Amino acid sequence: MVDAPGDDRWTNAGSVVLGIETSCDETAAACVRGGGDVLSSVVSSQVDLHARYGGVVPEIASRAHNELIIPVTARALFEAGLDGEDVDAVAATTGPGLIGALLVGVSAAKALALAWDVPFISVNHLEAHLYAGFLEEPELKFPLVVLLVSGGHTMLVLMEDHGRYRLLGQTLDDAAGEAFDKVARFLGLGYPGGPAIDSVAMSGDPEAIRFPRSMMDDGLDFSFSGLKTSVVNHVRNNPSVSTEDVAASFQAAVVDVLVAKARRAAQQHGATALALGGGVAANSLLREQFLTACTEDGMHAFLPSRAMCTDNAAMIASAGWYRLRLDGPTSLDCGADPNLRLSTLPA
Amino acid sequence: MLILGIETATMQVGCAVGGHEGVLSSVHSAKGKRHAEQLVPSIQFACEQARVELAEIGLVAVDVGPGLFTGLRVGVATAKALAFSLKVPMIGVSSLDLLAFPVRFSNRLIVTAIDARRGELYYACYRQVPGGVQRITDLQIGSPDDLASELLASGEEVLLVGDGAQRHAESFEGLAKVELVDTGNSHPSAAARVELAHARALREEFERPDAIEPVYLRRPDAEINWSTRDGR
Repeated sequence: MVDAPGDDRWTNAGSVVLGIETSCDETAAACVRGGGDVLSSVVSSQVDLHARYGGVVPEIASRAHNELIIPVTARALFEAGLDGEDVDAVAATTGPGLIGALLVGVSAAKALALAWDVPFISVNHLEAHLYAGFLEEPELKFPLVVLLVSGGHTMLVLMEDHGRYRLLGQTLDDAAGEAFDKVARFLGLGYPGGPAIDSVAMSGDPEAIRFPRSMMDDGLDFSFSGLKTSVVNHVRNNPSVSTEDVAASFQAAVVDVLVAKARRAAQQHGATALALGGGVAANSLLREQFLTACTEDGMHAFLPSRAMCTDNAAMIASAGWYRLRLDGPTSLDCGADPNLRLSTLPA
Repeated sequence: MLILGIETATMQVGCAVGGHEGVLSSVHSAKGKRHAEQLVPSIQFACEQARVELAEIGLVAVDVGPGLFTGLRVGVATAKALAFSLKVPMIGVSSLDLLAFPVRFSNRLIVTAIDARRGELYYACYRQVPGGVQRITDLQIGSPDDLASELLASGEEVLLVGDGAQRHAESFEGLAKVELVDTGNSHPSAAARVELAHARALREEFERPDAIEPVYLRRPDAEINWSTRDGR
């Protein structure tokens, strides 16, 4: 695979990475062997704590992470049937995310690495989402295109190899997940918006309203703020419109653009496979159309289970295993970077 | 029993190693908001200087605040993870108690005050007792003027200590019976924590890692806004 100096010193098929993820509102820990064999994956969601505020409150998230981090880590070890001395490295998300939340996970992970005398690995949350697709299907085929869609990001990434990424396109305004949250709030469907719209849209007609497909024929970048405005205007002008139809039509407009651009990106760059990642990848319509598109184009599809699409620590442990192989351990004076970007090669 | 003390409640990051022979090493730095970056390397250095392996540590003592929220969480998360992985107990010590301990040799009322930002202080009052100090009030949060009024009303000779008292020194200048302790003692010291924790360890006042959480004294803004809206 990768010919880095000290290649197998820490990472081999049997080495276990404990991953820790606290970048937003999920406290998560997982044990993954050999970069892909998930021994345990524990996610404690704080969604109930934030629901009444209609979004994640950073201070509440940080306090909850601090309470949950040790019980969740202990549970991940217990479910994997491991003791501390069986862990070969500890990986944690160091960004992007909420700074106060990130620091809880980073601090705990560095302390564990120090006490067990094993490497600590800093993991980029976005890179980890790229790896989520391979956890359940380890046969990686490069080059491949990943469509990463979450509440904070919408991007198309060409993966040429481990650690070699090119950013092909990204959103110019709202992330797709953000558009779901805003439209759900406007329609009074509650928080989080993705699952709310997904379930309401099941009983609506996706062709009832023809919302715009923004930038459909215009490169590989995305834009969702105009769509959100169209939804608001349509509902204001047609107060009696069915909420189910609006939700279904909005969802169809988002998914159409996402899938069309992912296909185009794969064709343009000669990719043999397409992967989906990020919280919005749990959306039913997106999953369905993504699979259909891959079948039509004869493209291999990496479609993570819903649990691996949303924030989890198994993807952190997996990306950590590959990062350790490429770069070696991260220094223990590492902090967190709320605006960390995916390190990409020139497009 | 060897004790590792961790201190991150103020701008200062500190840790110390010690036991029945006293403090073996202590490391303090106060260069900006770098708690998460500095703490673990500081612990490594303190252990090296004390010639102690981390595995020999038998107790982790941590400052639970009140103080800077993010700093406290870095300290508490690190301490809990160490105690969990080393399989040793913990002791949580309040930042305000720690500040009072080094200035205990005084008959005056000892008042400790830590900067709570937003023009407020965390504070508490102490009396000297054999072997240490005893807190005689709750841990409180209020404005420097609130504290100045309380001190004036008490009519007592007061020794005032802490970075909060330093920062709002002008609020206490006119009080004849109040002496502000100089900056050398204005942050809680990790060495004091090791001494205090040792006394409590002898009494076996241990806590489980999952029972230790920072003392915030202030609710998240979103909760305050929520509970005050619509007259709730």
